Order: sequence, then structure tokens, then C-alpha cells
Amino acid sequence: MDAATRIVNETRRHFLKQSPLGLAGLALSTMLGDESSADATRPLAERPAHATARAKNVIFLHMAGSPPHLDLFDYKPELVKRTGELCPDEYYEGKRFAFTSSRPTLLGTPRTFRQHGSSGMWLSDAIPELSELADELCVIRSMYTEQFNHAPAQLMLYTGSPRVGRPSLGSWVTYGLGTENQDLPGFVVLISGGTSPSAGKTAWGSGFLPSVFQGVQCRSQGDPVLFVSDPPGVSRSIRRESLDALNELNQQQFERLRHDETLTRMAQYELAYRMQISVPEVMDISRENQSMLDAYGAEPGQASFANNCLLARRLVEQGVRFVQLFDWGWDFHGTRPQEDIRGGLTEKCRPTDRAVAALIRDLRQRGLLDETLVVFSGEFGRTPFREGRTAKKDTLGRDHFPDCYSMMLCGGGVRPGTVYGSSDDLGFRPAQDKVHVHDLQATLLHLMGMNHERLTYRYQGRDFRLTDVHGEVIRGILA
Amino acid sequence: MGPAKTPMNGLFFRSRRLTLIVLTYTVVLASPLSAVADEASVSYREDILPILSDRCFRCHGPDAETREAGLRLDHYESSVAVLDSGAVAIVPGDLNGSEVWQRIGATDPDLRMPPDGALSDQEVDVLRKWIEAGALYEKHWSFTLPQPHGLPTSTLNDMSTVDRSLIDVWVHQRLQQQNLRRQPEADRYTLIRRLTLDLVGLPPTLTEVDDFLNDRRPDAYERVVDRLLASPAFGERWARRWLDLARYADSAGYASDPPRIIWRYRDWVIDALNRGLAFDQFTIEQLAGDLLPNPTLQQLIATAFHRNTMTNSEGGTDDEEFRSAAIVDRVNTTMQVWMGLTMGCAQCHSHKYDPITQAEYFQFYAIFNNTEDADQRDEAPFLSEYTEEEENEIQQLDARIRQLETQVNQEQTESAPNTDDKDTDSPETTQAKKDLQAAREQRKKVVGVTTPVLRELPIEQRRTTNVHIRGNFRVLGEGVDPGVPQEFFQPHGLAPTNRLEVAQWLVNGKNPLVARVVVNRIWETLFGSGIVETSEDFGTQGEPPTHPELLDYLANELVRTGWNTKRLIRTIVTSATYRQSSAVTPERGQADPRNRWLSHSPSFRLSAEMLRDQALAISGLLSRKMKGPSVRPPRPALGLRAAFGASTDWEASEGEDRYRRGLYTRWRRTTPYPSMATFDAPSREVCTIRRIRTNTPLQAFVTLNDPVFVEAAKALADRMNDPTLPLEERLSRGFRFCLARPPGDAELDRLKTLYERTQQAYTEDKQAARELLDDDRPAPAERAAMAVVANVLLNLDEVLSKK
Repeated sequence: MDAATRIVNETRRHFLKQSPLGLAGLALSTMLGDESSADATRPLAERPAHATARAKNVIFLHMAGSPPHLDLFDYKPELVKRTGELCPDEYYEGKRFAFTSSRPTLLGTPRTFRQHGSSGMWLSDAIPELSELADELCVIRSMYTEQFNHAPAQLMLYTGSPRVGRPSLGSWVTYGLGTENQDLPGFVVLISGGTSPSAGKTAWGSGFLPSVFQGVQCRSQGDPVLFVSDPPGVSRSIRRESLDALNELNQQQFERLRHDETLTRMAQYELAYRMQISVPEVMDISRENQSMLDAYGAEPGQASFANNCLLARRLVEQGVRFVQLFDWGWDFHGTRPQEDIRGGLTEKCRPTDRAVAALIRDLRQRGLLDETLVVFSGEFGRTPFREGRTAKKDTLGRDHFPDCYSMMLCGGGVRPGTVYGSSDDLGFRPAQDKVHVHDLQATLLHLMGMNHERLTYRYQGRDFRLTDVHGEVIRGILA
Repeated sequence: MGPAKTPMNGLFFRSRRLTLIVLTYTVVLASPLSAVADEASVSYREDILPILSDRCFRCHGPDAETREAGLRLDHYESSVAVLDSGAVAIVPGDLNGSEVWQRIGATDPDLRMPPDGALSDQEVDVLRKWIEAGALYEKHWSFTLPQPHGLPTSTLNDMSTVDRSLIDVWVHQRLQQQNLRRQPEADRYTLIRRLTLDLVGLPPTLTEVDDFLNDRRPDAYERVVDRLLASPAFGERWARRWLDLARYADSAGYASDPPRIIWRYRDWVIDALNRGLAFDQFTIEQLAGDLLPNPTLQQLIATAFHRNTMTNSEGGTDDEEFRSAAIVDRVNTTMQVWMGLTMGCAQCHSHKYDPITQAEYFQFYAIFNNTEDADQRDEAPFLSEYTEEEENEIQQLDARIRQLETQVNQEQTESAPNTDDKDTDSPETTQAKKDLQAAREQRKKVVGVTTPVLRELPIEQRRTTNVHIRGNFRVLGEGVDPGVPQEFFQPHGLAPTNRLEVAQWLVNGKNPLVARVVVNRIWETLFGSGIVETSEDFGTQGEPPTHPELLDYLANELVRTGWNTKRLIRTIVTSATYRQSSAVTPERGQADPRNRWLSHSPSFRLSAEMLRDQALAISGLLSRKMKGPSVRPPRPALGLRAAFGASTDWEASEGEDRYRRGLYTRWRRTTPYPSMATFDAPSREVCTIRRIRTNTPLQAFVTLNDPVFVEAAKALADRMNDPTLPLEERLSRGFRFCLARPPGDAELDRLKTLYERTQQAYTEDKQAARELLDDDRPAPAERAAMAVVANVLLNLDEVLSKK
């Protein structure tokens, strides 16, 4: 029996021993069949959820650096009125900020907010396309986390812990549910902006879960998946010829020694052969017609956020369970014009707004929006005051802010046209229905049909879960 | 210390000495320790503790904070005490008087225990028997010292093979219980390949294979073992394992993950393993080399073990937060690596299953909390080492600086009565000052190789340590003194209060865990799975050992032989258990599907580094250059930057540095070398006790298509393509480079067919052949076809695995 199977079997055994009623245990035993004839060739085979799933797939759009939510999603007229006043003691004393060490001044949004859709949702002029979709969106205005540096906050969001070592959200999801299309990875990561997110690969790492559950980084330039292309001069027929020989030789060897892992390996090579066709195919956006490319603002051959949004749709359409996008350049401190919440934000949002709106419309039009959850978020929010270092400059920027921020969800069983929770008048604290990132995680898993308290993995003598020992499903945003 | 050349003690490999083995152990056999347990009786450790630990300790265990009703069931004294309610949880011998019994059987769901689901009938039954028999508590198996165990006579009588060691006796005993037999010895091809991969991480050369095949001396096998143990490649292979534990990497981690120079530590590990540094000394030097009297340079470099923790240089971060995170990492890593315990839980609350309180956690933390390093970008404090040239330059510069200083002082003193305004300096003084400045600048530039090391703070600057409430470094609880968990402290001598004493406490032979953990790790390296399968957890939540007597025997041997790990490895690989064939028969597959009883030799996929090293060795590309700065073998450019950092791509090294062993590949934590990461190499952000082996299609992409492996295939094809040899011999030769053994007829036929078909295709499309070969040499179709064959050979399951 091969090691992957063994590990998972062992886990299963723990489940059976530890929590006979645990549904994750059930999922795993289904996943692996009988111990002696484990279906190790398909560790990502689809598995039943704990309960009825509202969402089959997730597209998580991460604006790395964290967008200024007060200039996009959370309109604070009182803060606008008091712009320039010193930050009140209660919000500053005893607090720590990344780049603000003397008392800052309040900063209301310089942008124009309007109400949109039948719900009258307030949204800023930086996101006109999304504003038109207000009746599809669900905005949470009372998010909070404890981490005020990028890497720990991203780890907190994706692994439930600010320190490295734990599996990421996408890994937990594919571990729990497998994936529909065995010819594609179950968890795909796409990066734009030319820079990896602060948490690096850990943001899509499998932690202590078997590495088969880690995110596979795909690219819209070069090999879409590392080494997926045959070497130069090796045609498909020669590849087939050599795989046939390899299979027969392995089969001969199997008959001699009868190691199950040999069979697993043979199956993996066949799967690899199929992926060599299916991956480049799905990653090739030039197969889309021009009007579709235009809608997203996508251009074949680029490594852009717009391309990645279009790819995300193609991937979920083909049955990829979890698609994670990271876009660099959202750290709006105001230290450079590109980070100014006026012109800089307008520029940054223009392609983003267009691509995300196109993605939502495209999913809706294909009937995929109901089963695909789209999340748009940073790792934290940004301060209601001006960033300390830039207080004397012309640019307007905000510091990192974990205490209260906004994020947006859409589709996948989330109640559309909804604003959930609120911040206080100046935007410093959640005023109503506060939502911790652990609650968000519990909710995402819930939407996918999993109970976050039952999706566990035994490691170092303890049953670990994404939400640690916390997390409550946010009932108020469920459709 | 070289490898042991003679059988190491009174434990023998030949049957004629069997009598002696039995004699040696007669005394033990007669002792109460070896009394055969009553099969029907209930064992606390095997039957009761798992139930209590899994179902009760969470609320009634060592953690006082989550303890319910004041009841603690992990100790005899507390289980039989009168509770606040007046009830007594367990009254030994009195079932109905025991509250536990009442609660287990309660029908009212509000009263029934455990609240999350009733115990099974079988669990209830063993608990009944145990309480009736007096509710005897025993310590968790791994918390008591390894004991000598009497040899099982019935097993000895049942054994009939020629070669046997005590390892084989204990393994045989388990097999006997399962009605299984060991496999016969593997053939010599298999043996030498297995042994060479295991001991030096490389495949054997054809000469080495042939020498072994032709060596008819009775100790031919042991001679190979000794040759390999003495090879410098031994240290490289086994260092890899240790470097996972040490979380060694060439970058500092976190968002920008800047480069870190710490490879001298990696070389120290290789050297230490090669010279056979005893494991106790190996431990002391790494944990506390700086606290030894007059430490050598090497002993100081060893302390870089704990400087492999991550450093956060992201703007706006709190240095104290990440210094504290590094200390937490040192505490957890120390406990994990040496004692196989997961102390991490106790950072936030007392351990729920193992006897470590939160206060004890921070007592241990206090021991590590007094080094100078403080999450600084420059990694201070570090040790500088210089080449001879640099030494000379330093001497000259220092002399010049002294001379100039004297000159400037003198001139200033002489002109002092006037003024010390420097505008009035004489031209000579001004010049001397300039020169002095320049010399100092130049001196600063001579940095040599710097290695971050541990250095204890001077007494007046020592930090005090408090409990961090819920693990938060800013919310401090009670103050604690340095110390080690009470459970493991033997009341002889003084309690450890600094790193040196901790290191000595770990390896003084009185620690119940360390030797077992070390033995288990070596076993796991060789057999793919430990005697304790959960090598990261020897606590009550871990798996029990499959062969407890064997584990104890080897642990005791390790200590008795002065912590000689090479000797231990020798003992294991010379056993018949290790030397058996890996073939699985239907009955073995049925009775022992996971091979926990070792009814055949295990077969498993080679590690990421071994796969690389093997491909390079087989193709003749491998550089055997040892040590030095880490290198950058080719890897695909991704066009990405690290957050707030430099490009994650690199320019490949030139010359032989492209072909060094995987161990020397620059290890960047946020962007691990892609082909190795695909084969489960960890990021090394934290200590990895065991790598989980997976089997995925992405791995096939690496060995089929990664340019590094394609280059290896082409080089192997060149080695095979000796025009003086007929095709069959060329193919056969390539096969033997890969697997030591010659191909069978069917295998050879299949390779021949592949070659001929591919050659045909390339003859028709010479352009494709040129593209693959990327050269203008003659016979492209033949060479390209052979490269395709070589690519297949390098992808054979038998090549990717140890068989």
C-alpha cells in the first residue's frame, strides 16, 4: 500500500477510533474505500458532504495588501464630516499600528458614494460595474481579525492561525470534498501583479495534510502547470509510446513483487498524460470569443487579474473545486501616487471592477452562480485615519486595520442584495453583528456542505480544524 | 569514530552463538519483569488509557482550566479522591460505589458520561474489569525508562534461519503471533541497491555491484555496510534527515524571506555525522555549544541549530512578537526532536492529554529565553569565520588602525592646550583621521562567512519569563523560573536551569524518551515507518509501538554503546529483517496489509533529494563536491517577486554547481525548489518530523519533463550508447546503471521494441530528434531514441522506489 493511502487510512482509523460519529470520518472512508483495496489512485475523488451543499465551488479573489474598504464598501458620513480632526483617544491609546506611531488625523472618504439596487446598498464610485450588480452582492461591514501585518493576517484568513504550519482553506475543502474533475487539479492558485502574496506558498499550502491537497499554482504564461509540457522533440505519439513501455515494464515488476504502490504510480502516470491535454486546454483563454475577452478585459498571453478571473470561470466550469486568485498592489498606504485612495484607487479598481463584474455576470449567465461562491476580500481593512508616515504628504493613504473592515460575497448560497453587520459611526469598531475570520471560514465550509467542527485532521495527537476552537456560521447571510 | 568493524557486543548474528544469547538473558527471564501477563486481564496502558485519553481527559485530564467538576482521571490519587460533590469517581474494587460507573451507565442524558456519545459495550466491559480488579494505574509506556526484556523462548525455538540478531527475534515473535514468516533474504542486486540508497542516498556503481556479487567471503555484506558507513556521502544522506528537524533553510522566512547565510551549520551536521560524533555530544553542542567551557569554533557553529528559526523583517512588525515566536519554536522543536512530544498545545493551555502544564511550558521557555538574538534583520549575533587571506588582511588592517589611532591621539593631545576644534587639526592629523576612517571602513568589509549563533545574555540583562496567557506574548501571567516538566525530571542531581543542563538532562540516559525517539527515527528512515508510527508523538495520543521490546532493546543499546548512531544503523541493516525480500505474497498482503509486522521488506518511494541525486548519479552528471555555500540548479522562471522582496527566480549556478546533491540546493522557504516540493520536501518554516509521502500526477511531470531530468536522460543515453556494443547490451547496461540488476528477457524485449519504434519515428523526423538532443552530433535518431528509453528507465517504479 502506498504511503499516501497509508497516511489517509491512518487518519481514517483515527476517525473511527476517535469520533465514530464524525462525518469527516465518513467522508474519508468513502474516499478511500476498504483499507486493503484503497482507491489510492484517486485521492481527490469526490466525496459526499456532511449536509446539503449550497456551493459546489469557490472562487476566492484576494486583493493582497488589503483594499481601503472605507473607500469602497463602507460609507461613513460622520467620518467625512470630521476629516482632519485628531483621532479620539479611545481609538488610538494603547493600540498598535504598523506604520502610525503618533496620533493621526481622521480621514473620511474623498470618494463619492451612492445607493444602488433595490436594497439601496451604498457603494463608491471606484466600483461602478459592481455597483450595477448590487442586487447580487452581499457585503459584510463588520469583519475583524487580530493580525495587523500582511503575512500573519493572510495566514489567519486561510489557515485559521497566524503562524505557519496549518492547511489552507482550499486544502481543507479538497480534503473534505475531493473534486469533480479528476483530470484537473482540485485546488488551483492564480497570481497577478507579478508578486506572490506576503504569506507565500503557505497561503495555499497543505500544512500537515498530505501534499496532494495543496494548491497547484497555474500560470497564464509559459507552462500552465510546472513541467506539464513534453520536452522539445517529444511528440504526443512518442510520449504515448514511452508510457506504454513504462506501463508494461511496471506491470512486469508488479507481478514479481506485488507492491500496490506500483499500481497507484501507473495510474498517476496515466492521469498525468490526460492532464497534459486537459490543463493546457482549460488554461487557454484564446479559445474564448473576443466579446467575452472584452467583457473581462482579458488579453491572451498576459498574467493579468482579468485573465485570471476568466480562467477562474473556465476552471470551475470544468469542475475545479477551489480557485484562489491573488492580485498584488492593494496596500494603500499612500506612500506613492499608485497607493492614493483617490486617483490611485480609481486606476487600480478600473480593471478589477470590470473583471469581477464580468465574472459574476458570466457565471450567472451560465447558471453557475448559484453553485459558485465568489469572495472578494483583503486580509484586513484599512484605518479610518491617515497613515502616520504620509500625514504630511499630498497623497492620501490608510494604515493596516484589523479591528473592523468590509468584504464582499456573491452567489453560492449567499443571500443577494444584502448588507450584513455595520461599523460604528467612525468605522473603528463593529457596531452590529461582528464577524471574525473564523466565522467566515465556518460559513464558507457550511455553504459547501461541511460542518467546520467535524472537518478535522488528526495531527500530533490532536484533531485540528480550520477554525481552531472558534467559528460560528453567519446565519444572516445565508440565502 | 569510525564505523564498527566487529560485532559490537554479545548480540550475535550467528546461530552457533544462540546458546549464549539465551544464557545472557537467563537472569532477566527469571525476573518479575518478564512475567507473562494474564491474557484475559485488563491492561491499563493498552486497554484503559486509550479510552480515558480519548473520551475523558479533555475535561478530566491534566489541564486544570478546562477541568470539569474538579475531577481528574489521569492519576490514581485524584481518581480515588472525594470530589466536591461528595462522590468518589473510582472506588477500586467497588463498581457500584464508583461514580464513574454510575455515570457511564446513566440513562439520563444530562448525567451520562461521556456527554458526546456513550461508550461501546466493549469499552464499558474493560472499564468494569479494571475497576473490579482494583483500578491500577500505570504510567504511559514511553514515560518509563526502557527496560531489558527477557527473550521469548518459544520464539527462539521457532527460529531456524542461519542469520539472526536480537532484532530478528523480536520481529519473529510478532510474526509468529500473526502466523506469518519473514521473507527469505533478497538477492544481492537488491541488497546492494537498497543498502547503498539507505546509507549514502545514492545508487551503487556497476563496479560496486560487481565487487559485491563476486565477493564470496562470508562477511561480504558486512564489508559493504562498513564501506558505506565510512563514505563521506553517508553524512550527506543522513544530514538531510536532520536538516528537516532543524528546519534548516537558506532564507529567513516570512513575507520577504530574505537570504540567510547559515550553510556552515549544514556542513557541521554533515561532518558530525561522518566523524560519528556521539549523539549525546551532538545534542549538547547544538543546544548549548556556546555554554561549554572554551567552546571550539565548531561547537559554536553547532548552536546555529536554534538560529534556524524564522526572522521577520517586514516593515511595521513588532520584533518582540517575532522573537517570542522564535523562542516558542525552539521550545516546541526541542521537545519534538528529542522527546517526541507535542508541547505546542501547552503554549496556550495545559496539555489535555500529556502531563505538561502551561506553567511548565513557560519554565522550559524561560530556559531558551535568554539568548541575545532578537528578530533583527542582520541576524545578530553571528560568528565570522575567515580564510587565511582574510585573516592576514584583518591583521594588517587592525595593526594599521591601531597605529593611526595612536597617531591621531598623540597629535590631538599635543595640540590640546589650544582647542579641540577639529578645524585646527594639522594637515597630518586630518590626513591620519581620513586614513583611519578608510581603514575602519575597509575592515568592516572583511566579513568572511557569517553564521548566526546562540549567545547567552550577560547576567545583568537576563529576561524574566512569565506565562503568556492563552499564548499571547503581550498578556502576561505569573512569573516562572527556568525548569523542565516535572513528569520527566528524574529526582537525581539538580534540575536543569539553563540550555547546557537541559541538553545534558536529555542525554544522561535517565530520560525515558530520547533514546527511543532517536532509535525510532533511524528505524523509520530505513523501514519507511517507525516502530512507533507517529514518530512526532510519543505521548498518550500517539500510536503505541508495534514492537515495544525491540524499541527498548535498541534504545538501551544506543545508550550502552555511548550513543553511537552509526553502530545502531549497522546493527539494524545487518539484521535478517532488513535483508529480507520486499516481495508481497497474497497471504502477507491479507494478514499484514500495512506491513506493520514486517513480513517482508518495505518498499517506498525515494525522497525528493534522493530522486534528484539518483538521476544525476545514474546519468554520470552528479558532482561529488561537498559542502560550501548553497547552489542554484536550474529551475523554471516564474516571473514573480516575493512580497516586499526580491525576485523569486534565480540565475542558475555555473559548472558543476548545477549538478550538486539536492542537499546543497538553496532552500528558500517561501519558494521551495519546485521539483523537490512536488516530492513532498517541506518548506522548512518549522520542524518537520516526518515527511508524508504522496503519489501524484504532478510528480510524473517532474521525472518525465523537468529539464533537469530530461538532461539526465540524455546523459544516461550517452553512457549507454557505446557503439562497440550490440543494442541489447547497451540497453542492458542502461538498465543496470539504474537498478544494479540485469533486465529479464521480457524487460529487455520491451525496451528493444521501444527503442526501435522510437528510432523509426526519429528517423522520419530528424528535426524532432535535434530538438530533443539540442546538439549537432551524428546519429540523432539513434541518440534521441536512446534518450527516450533512458527517460523511461528513470521513471520505472522500481527506480523511483526502494525495493
